[in-house]
Amino acid sequence: MGSRALLMLKGVSSIAPKNQIFNFNCKSSRSSNSSFSFSQVVINHNKNNKVRRCSTTTTQSSLEPPDVSRLAETARISLTPSEVEEFAPKIQQVIDWFGQLQDVDLHSIEPSIRADTEDSNLRDDVPETFENRESMIAAVPSYEEPYIKVPKVLNKE
Amino acid sequence: MMASTIFRSIQNHPLLLYQTALFRRKNGVFYCTMKSTEAQTATQEKQKPPLPKIMKQTKTSDKFSKDYEAVIGIETHVQLNTLTKAFCGCPYNYGSPPNTSVCPICMGLPGALPVLNSKVIELAVKVGLALNSKLSLNSKFDRKQYFYPDLPKGYQISQFDVPIASGGYIDLDLPVEFGGGHRRFGITRVHMEEDAGKLLHSENGSYSQVDLNRAGVPLLEIVSEPDMRTGIEAAEYAAELQRLVRYLGVSNGNMQEGSLRCDVNVSVRPIGQAQFGTKVEIKNLNSFSSVSRAIDFEISRQVLLHSQGQGDQITQETRLWEEGAQKTVTMRKKEGLADYRYFPEPDLPGVILTKEYVNSILDSLPELPEVKRRRYEKMGLSMQDVLFLANDVNVAEFFDATIAKGADVKLAANWIMGDIAAYMKNEKLTINEIKLIPQELAELIASIKGGTISGKIGKEILFELLAKGGTVKGLIKEKDLVQIVDPVEIEKIVDKVLSENPKQLEQYRGGKTKLQGYFAGQVMKLSKGKANPGLLNKILLEKLNAQS
Repeated sequence: MGSRALLMLKGVSSIAPKNQIFNFNCKSSRSSNSSFSFSQVVINHNKNNKVRRCSTTTTQSSLEPPDVSRLAETARISLTPSEVEEFAPKIQQVIDWFGQLQDVDLHSIEPSIRADTEDSNLRDDVPETFENRESMIAAVPSYEEPYIKVPKVLNKE
Repeated sequence: MMASTIFRSIQNHPLLLYQTALFRRKNGVFYCTMKSTEAQTATQEKQKPPLPKIMKQTKTSDKFSKDYEAVIGIETHVQLNTLTKAFCGCPYNYGSPPNTSVCPICMGLPGALPVLNSKVIELAVKVGLALNSKLSLNSKFDRKQYFYPDLPKGYQISQFDVPIASGGYIDLDLPVEFGGGHRRFGITRVHMEEDAGKLLHSENGSYSQVDLNRAGVPLLEIVSEPDMRTGIEAAEYAAELQRLVRYLGVSNGNMQEGSLRCDVNVSVRPIGQAQFGTKVEIKNLNSFSSVSRAIDFEISRQVLLHSQGQGDQITQETRLWEEGAQKTVTMRKKEGLADYRYFPEPDLPGVILTKEYVNSILDSLPELPEVKRRRYEKMGLSMQDVLFLANDVNVAEFFDATIAKGADVKLAANWIMGDIAAYMKNEKLTINEIKLIPQELAELIASIKGGTISGKIGKEILFELLAKGGTVKGLIKEKDLVQIVDPVEIEKIVDKVLSENPKQLEQYRGGKTKLQGYFAGQVMKLSKGKANPGLLNKILLEKLNAQS
């Protein structure tokens, strides 16, 4: 449950900064192809289908209070005990807000996969070399030609 | 301790060992008869390193393996051969100097936004259709979050709950030397995602190095149903996927370069039990034969544990295949399911396909391996021939082009599988690199069949064509190689040979009739190989037996 709350939080926050500078080309090569109907949508009922389920059936009562320490750990953020105490009620507020959203009765409504699927924004498969590679590489904290140097890693997790 | 475990576990699987032994023996026979079969199947792709010494069979171990059944599923990552990465315009070329093909998007710099390469969708749809899958006309990308230095953004853009294709199956034929047989394996899903960078571990081990050239390169992940039961079936499934992506032209499918990577899940259960056993994932499989051998090793290991009442020692974990030691070892234990905290990728719109788009791709699909094999089979070719010819799409195209020029099917197959394959192997050339073209092979076959040249001369011409190119007609004319079919002329040569070899003639007439071969050889030599063999033998025999 805690991680689900984080998931929502991250989803919201990462929409915010839209910087178009690096967005190479927005030429839409197949924007005319948006004539689909929802009845053709294939929805997989995977056993891991958490995200979808939580958006339709969960009610407020199932939203547990956040485990801030665990959230911080999954996000690789170090928090002091006082920060944990400080953030808990703030995150709880956000979770409560999602609880309100989830109270809305959506049983008669077909799920939408994406909010803005009418506009497909595709790129042609044409190579383009980024011109300012040097300054990008220069900004890497630890670099030893030709590799980026990182602490020794053996296993995932 | 470890060694004895291996010993016992392999002992435990006499059936598989027998198969391997049988296979090798047959393979030897094929080489002797020059009947090619080289590179015919996945499992033959590379010369096998010698297996550890083993070979003792016991009846009890026989019993164990019969009581258990393995369940195998495979996740395959296929690198798509687009010119650029999935979400940025960086060109991708295998082997480029490290960190040269990078930009803010694939390096995960703040503010950089991904834009999907339309080619990725096209290639994913091709594969989805070729695997008989159901396409999602409306799918989306999701973020899979984990922290690892080869993943600059801290998440991988992938597809989670709505993959672009789901369901489906792939058909294949098992190699004749493994008993043959047709198999259909289910496909669970196909989804699009991006690759991570490459992580290298430095010599002294105090730090690791990252190359981000591969970060953001488009992949398809193809997940099979747990339908395989043996290492061979799994290896052949992987080989068929490789064939499929090569036929489709969506990937080079090269395992050594990592363009096709297989992660295998293996579990074992008592026969008759519906519930799956605890599954173990095996990684680091970079050839088809290692897929096959790693699985067979893992099955033996698990069966042994089960049979000793230690089934609970099998834990859900990731094991690495060690090619040198020919065994799997624990890489990491899985503590519950990893929490990837998937959520819909907010920086990308949904992926929308129209029926028209899907149909246009469906119409453009080439003949796929399974259809080709069935067609070759109907032409009357043996399964051995069918599998050889359809294995490599370029060989199949060469063969198709040759018979399109009117060549006899079986003769064309024999030439390609015999002398041409042997030449390619010796010279380390692909069929596209040899100088012989299908039209000239067809001409060569027709010239022999029509009697213009002998089979022996035909071979000489073939090697000339393979190495230098040119035309059959040109070579025949240039080298004066037209077969001698005039009986009078052949008679003259026979007379000459007989008169030059009075001693042998006497011996022949004295009963040493084996000498006929000697005379035939002499006549052939004198005619520079041009005498028609049938006529030669007929005339020679008449002359030899004339005064006896």
